Amino acid sequence: MLEKLGLYFSFPFVRYALIVGVLIALCSSLFGVTLVLKRFSFIGDGLSHVAFGAMAIAAVINLTNEMPLVLAVTVVCAVLLLRTGQNTKIKGDAAVAMISVGALAIGYLLMNLFAKSSNLSGDVCSTLFGSTSILTLTKTEVWLCGALSVVVAIFFLFFYHKIFSVTFDEDFARATGTKAQVYNLLIAVIIAVIIVLAMNLVGSLLISALVIFPALSAMRVFKSFRSVTVCSAIVSVVCALIGILLSILYGTPVGSTIVAVDITAFILFTLCGWLLRRRLA
Amino acid sequence: MKKLFSVWLIVMLALLTAACGKVAETAETKKPAEAGKTDIDLTVLSSTMVYSEVYNMVSNPENYLGKTVKMSGSVATFDGEGRTYYACIIADATACCSQGIEFLLKDSYRPEDYPGVGETVTVTGVFDRYYEGEEVYYQLIDSVLG
Repeated sequence: MLEKLGLYFSFPFVRYALIVGVLIALCSSLFGVTLVLKRFSFIGDGLSHVAFGAMAIAAVINLTNEMPLVLAVTVVCAVLLLRTGQNTKIKGDAAVAMISVGALAIGYLLMNLFAKSSNLSGDVCSTLFGSTSILTLTKTEVWLCGALSVVVAIFFLFFYHKIFSVTFDEDFARATGTKAQVYNLLIAVIIAVIIVLAMNLVGSLLISALVIFPALSAMRVFKSFRSVTVCSAIVSVVCALIGILLSILYGTPVGSTIVAVDITAFILFTLCGWLLRRRLA
Repeated sequence: MKKLFSVWLIVMLALLTAACGKVAETAETKKPAEAGKTDIDLTVLSSTMVYSEVYNMVSNPENYLGKTVKMSGSVATFDGEGRTYYACIIADATACCSQGIEFLLKDSYRPEDYPGVGETVTVTGVFDRYYEGEEVYYQLIDSVLG
């Protein structure tokens, strides 16, 4: 097996996939904790469908590099979703559901009406489930993913305390002078960036798993925000690495293999948490 | 924690730079093509790897021109311009996407030696480029079956 791994590592796209996969997994797990605690777990799902719709538009207008357009549309929708949630009658889960299914349907419709590829179902399937997307990135996409991941990680690092206060008690944060609305907006933009990046790793239907599973796993064992965040980041990175390696070794789809490893980690952490509570009781 | 994170990020960026800095060649493609020698053996790779490598061959063909490629897949045919084109098709792990490379058997093969549609074959040939009008296509020439 090690010999086979050695052979696979000689392929540049495997090295790119591992590095980009680790960076994406790290970013998604950092903000996953915030999303789970703020009860926004499904925003990721909604935005990933928006990204799918944007990708369809990019395919229809035959863009060589679709990521800038997809990123712009997803960020705009993330901001709109947040504002819509605050100012209009359509709120919370209804707004997310509306945007989610709407974008998915329009995206698929556009791809069908203006199909450029001879393998439409293949393109759709690949985008939804990310079968090998992470292994077929161009060098430009690798750099873009790397740069965006670094921006996201730096944002989290430098605004850690603000994110912490906005996540736990928005009213208290506002009362102590924190501009909660601005930070919520920034978090929404960052989430949109993460979603677009994560589409390459696990596909648009499986993104929520990448965002929430590491956070939920860490919460089974740890209780403080910091320990949960650190544990979540480690779990996410390790699961992504194992998932990518398993998928290239055994020829399984990358996205669903990573999610399967995430589910296994969640079960293990739940067992650990249960054992720890029993010992303490 | 900030220090730890910063160090980790720098390490990842350094790795990214190192990974991207290399010429986009595989270990197999580094050696020049020799007679009777396979430069890229896709038959020893997992299906995910095969799909990704063929995707790269189709997207960045310049890196693979002149290399002897061995691949396994199912046969598909396309009719046009007074002849039938044969391709070796491989599917990805979800079986929803497929990539293929056209192949042309050696002159010693007769037309009836070409395999039927859907048959699983192993083809070894030299990755080459040809033009039809203004369009450029890629195929395995001087291919042998088995």
